[in-house]
Amino acid sequence: MKDLSVRVFRYNPETDDQPHYQHYLVRVREGARVLHVLHAIHDEHDPSLSYRYCCGSGQCGSCAIRVNGDPVLACTKEAQDGITIEPLELPVQTDLVVNMEPYLEAISSLEPCGDFRMPTQEEVEAIKPLRSCIECLACVSACPALKVIEFAGPTAMREDMRLSLDPRDSSDRVTEAVADGLFTCTSCQVCWKVCPKDIEIPGKAIEKLRALANEKGLTLPRHREVEKMIRETGRSVDRAGTTFLEQIAGVLEPYGEVKGTVGFFVGCMYNQRLPQTALDAMEVLRRNGIRVIIPKEQICCGSPLIRTGQIGYLKTLQQRNIEAFVHRGIDTVMTMCAGCGSTLKNDYDCPFRVIDVNEVLLKFEIEPPARLPVKATYHDPCHLLRGQGIRTQPRELISRVVDLVEMPSICCGSGGGVRSGVPQEAAALAENRRKEIEKTGADIVISSCPFCEYHISEHTDRPVRNITTVLLEGYREKDKKKGLKEEV
Amino acid sequence: MAEGGYNAVLREQDSCEIHFEDTMKGGAWLNDPGLVRILVDEAPERVRDLLRWGAVFDVTDCCEVAQRPFGGQRFPRTCYAGDRTGHEMMMTLIDRLHSTGVSVVNEVTIVSLLKDGTRVNGAAGLDRNGELSIFLADSVVLASGGGTRIYDISTNSSSGTGDGYALGYQAGAELIDMEQVQFHPTGAVFPYDARGRLVTEAVRGEGGILKNARGERFMITYDPERMELSTRDVVARAIATEILEGRGTKNGGVFLDVTHLPRTQVESRLPVMLEQFLQFGVDIREEPMEVAPTAHHIMGGLRITGRCETTVPGLYACGEVAGGVHGANRLGGNALADTQVFGKRAGEAAGKADTKKNEADPVQIEAIRKRLEDLNGGDVNPATVVRSLQTAMWDGAGIFRNAADLERTLGIIGHLRTLRLKAATPANLAECCIAGHMLVYATLVVKGALLRKESRGAHVRQDITQVWDGQNSPYGHTYQSLSREGIEMEVKS
Repeated sequence: MKDLSVRVFRYNPETDDQPHYQHYLVRVREGARVLHVLHAIHDEHDPSLSYRYCCGSGQCGSCAIRVNGDPVLACTKEAQDGITIEPLELPVQTDLVVNMEPYLEAISSLEPCGDFRMPTQEEVEAIKPLRSCIECLACVSACPALKVIEFAGPTAMREDMRLSLDPRDSSDRVTEAVADGLFTCTSCQVCWKVCPKDIEIPGKAIEKLRALANEKGLTLPRHREVEKMIRETGRSVDRAGTTFLEQIAGVLEPYGEVKGTVGFFVGCMYNQRLPQTALDAMEVLRRNGIRVIIPKEQICCGSPLIRTGQIGYLKTLQQRNIEAFVHRGIDTVMTMCAGCGSTLKNDYDCPFRVIDVNEVLLKFEIEPPARLPVKATYHDPCHLLRGQGIRTQPRELISRVVDLVEMPSICCGSGGGVRSGVPQEAAALAENRRKEIEKTGADIVISSCPFCEYHISEHTDRPVRNITTVLLEGYREKDKKKGLKEEV
Repeated sequence: MAEGGYNAVLREQDSCEIHFEDTMKGGAWLNDPGLVRILVDEAPERVRDLLRWGAVFDVTDCCEVAQRPFGGQRFPRTCYAGDRTGHEMMMTLIDRLHSTGVSVVNEVTIVSLLKDGTRVNGAAGLDRNGELSIFLADSVVLASGGGTRIYDISTNSSSGTGDGYALGYQAGAELIDMEQVQFHPTGAVFPYDARGRLVTEAVRGEGGILKNARGERFMITYDPERMELSTRDVVARAIATEILEGRGTKNGGVFLDVTHLPRTQVESRLPVMLEQFLQFGVDIREEPMEVAPTAHHIMGGLRITGRCETTVPGLYACGEVAGGVHGANRLGGNALADTQVFGKRAGEAAGKADTKKNEADPVQIEAIRKRLEDLNGGDVNPATVVRSLQTAMWDGAGIFRNAADLERTLGIIGHLRTLRLKAATPANLAECCIAGHMLVYATLVVKGALLRKESRGAHVRQDITQVWDGQNSPYGHTYQSLSREGIEMEVKS
């Protein structure tokens, strides 16, 4: 037996003006789940506590709640001392009980065809990864888009895709999904990461539905323009001046001893719009003994096409990029754009290893920079945090230069074609970021993705910097101090 | 939640006659043959209904519904959707219901059936806030499932509290074979709070083997022919015996092992098991599971006709709350078939029944209100009462039974029934009513166990020696209602 102290969200609209948190000290057995903590509170301390549960074995989805902010099933999440237990981010009815009905009702029902045909084994295998949903609504609770715009929600999109794969359904789910907000998804992937059944809604439902929408000519005009540009120029964004590739040598030798060699995949944003950031990164790498090879034939990775469902030209891009690096005999390709990195890692079949710049810098013992007298907050790029599972590395690097103040990891709205396709949503999401940034009191915002950096900088008055730029500033400060010392 | 599958005769090599015989033999011939005939004959068509409505069952490479072997059956006739078959069926049915105009009222706890003289004409229920709602109806169908949560170790979800048995009994319906409680052989033993969690029979269907702590494949001494795929009553007793005689693991179970199966088979056919055990730190591809028997299914229930009519006019019952289909031991895979076959029959019969002018009886409503009001003045936490009941039932009316233990258990339940339950808030009223139902229904289980003075199927009386087997038993159903109780004597031709 062990004693746990927990903090529980309480709200009874009949008696309370405001929700409040209550502390409980409960005794539970080894291995107890959060549900057993709730039972202990209800049975032994406070019978007024309201919460839903049913199967107790992770199969029905009734007991979804949030523990320390993250949606989980109470019956499978192991209870720990000091946790905060809250309802899902849906309208609260009482305590941990929320109103699920509107989102459950938004899930489409199969409309049987006149002629019945059994799905084939292949069809069943395609449907299965989308079928294990237990309707717990963890995805709906976590979806950032739903906080700023109306849409049917991630799991409704999942069901639309499952129905489109099923030969027994007679309805046009694609048109329905478009009407229900298919293009509002920023592909932040939080729905997948919180799903207790690990359903990959962005990749297996949203992007697939967008591809089907593309076949029906339902792609948003702004997205079609991006596709056209990629076909014509190999790039997804306009150039703002001299590009990165135009101003850099094909091989950058480090200043000192060579500790390692990487190929560099620059990506459209850093190449066309923010070349200085990429140049800063090159300086940091050279200073730390990393030789960088930069094939000039590289083009757009295709991420904007995959996210918006326009995959006709994707194969060509993939082949050309892979050839560019293979041709140079490169076995490790570094990305510094979170979107490109996630795409190369997850949507390519690369014959080389793909590694993010944050991983590269931590892999090699980098030179310590000087500390800057600056308080910074870090914005987790979705395609870095969830797309590549990179969470600790950027924080470690940042903490070597400046003081880091955390803020919640929420999508800024720049991904999934939303910035171009549904700009008012992208702006609303960035506005939410601005508020979080403000709360931290940070002087600057640091990130590690050109889309996030570009988008956030338009919505906050704080400077937005890439991690490598801040590191470089730390090195310059160090040099300056050293120079001063030498002068004295 | 039901995991393993749905039995239906779908192949030419199989036949409904064999399914019938397997079911009767598995049920120790206590089953109602007419109901079994309906079950086996209509199960295939009902699985086709589910397929038409979009159920995603596993299929073979010839586009036929895939089937796996289950215990006590001579043909692999268990259709499945991985090991989440029950969930798949529920999703399909909810989806189907969703697409109709039927109005659905969720999260109401029925506390009493209403009657107009001798006929059931509605029900009274409490919503989440403890507000009383009255439903009037031409017909009422009890489809409330089972209730092994009266036992300390159970596979059932929070709704498995047996309310339907208590509601039916109190409305005057007759219940049969309430002593027939199926203990599923394989429930999880760790962690303690999740003990009893179902480990599907599909694990053994896919080739899983049972071993005691000494590494012996002990089923050879209990049923050398069918081994792990013997009927559930036999396997549950075998495991319980191994544990009782000191050959269990230190967590109080035996080993269930699939490590010899290809990893891909475990991953594709048993994904839920894999995921659940991983959550508790066990990778079943690498190490064995630890399992022990767990209360799983109530074979007994309201006595029904083939049209699902109970002995009370206006009241129908189907699924686990009804009795007679599974006799003294249910075959794995027959419960899901039962829900579909008799669910449809109950719905049709109830829907086609004459419409009547329904009025609530103010005397009954007043009595219900009074009962609820009394709960505000009670002094005992219903959770405490339920825990005492669960322990008493597991200790005194479990897998192995005798008259002395049963009498003692009846005494404990009798005492618990005298306690005045306390509803701390209006929302707690439903909990108190459910605890009350559990006590009424547990009484029926124990009394049934005392009435049946023989060992048959899942019901074992260690204090009675008998010379007959199930097929030659002099006894038929036990029966209990407000007006009579006893055991039927079989007239042997």
